[in-house]
Amino acid sequence: MAKVTREMVENAGLNVDEVVELLVKNAAAELTTYYYYTILRINLIGLEGEGVKEIAETARVEDRNHFEAIIPRIYELGGKLPENMKDFHDLSACPPAALPKNPTDIKAMLTVLVEAERCAVRGYTHICNLTAGKDHRTYDLSQAILNEEIEHESWFSEFLGEGPSGHFLRRGETSPFVGKFLR
Amino acid sequence: MRKFSKKELTKYDGKEGRKAYIAHDGLVYDVTDSFLWKDGKHQAIHFAGNDLTEELKKAPHGIDFLKRYLIIGKLKDS
Repeated sequence: MAKVTREMVENAGLNVDEVVELLVKNAAAELTTYYYYTILRINLIGLEGEGVKEIAETARVEDRNHFEAIIPRIYELGGKLPENMKDFHDLSACPPAALPKNPTDIKAMLTVLVEAERCAVRGYTHICNLTAGKDHRTYDLSQAILNEEIEHESWFSEFLGEGPSGHFLRRGETSPFVGKFLR
Repeated sequence: MRKFSKKELTKYDGKEGRKAYIAHDGLVYDVTDSFLWKDGKHQAIHFAGNDLTEELKKAPHGIDFLKRYLIIGKLKDS
């Protein structure tokens, strides 16, 4: 634990245990989404499915990166991960992004993907709102993740035909915003 | 439709197997089975058994989310 780090956040008027709880819940959401997206990606087949697969894969890898980036902050603030993986799954900030009953229904697949991203966007917006001007490092981290989650949401939402497209597939390496926390 | 006082509502805090009810704008919703309200707690800072009308104004989602839950009563003193 980074003693002074925790003290500074407490002195800024934040309940550090609440911040830690939110970080653990969102870390769980990232890792479980990584897991569920693996199943979704495998099932994205056929003419329509293959078109979505590349973006689903980028989102999957970036969600795993988000998990990796959040963990150090949890421990810096004096928190820890649950010892039991099942407990970790069940406290996730977002519901499971489970495979739809008919995996060949690409619209249903995209709906699962976009809902998962929207939950993440809400979650990190919540953490940003809570920590802005008070816990600079958690804010910076959450804002970086939020940037990537917003792009994921846009990709899937545009595949669903929601609005004109202002986004393109990731060029270059994954996690352009969160990468600085992974080095 | 059942009417709840604010005091009665506090009994439905979702803890230790109790039902989780929340109130918004005079209506009481059952969120017991929601993945997002496990143990009567939502996103670390919101607690079942309370009138969340003011808190929801600051939430990163709209009141549309409440349509997912069953309305089980009205809040008396709202």
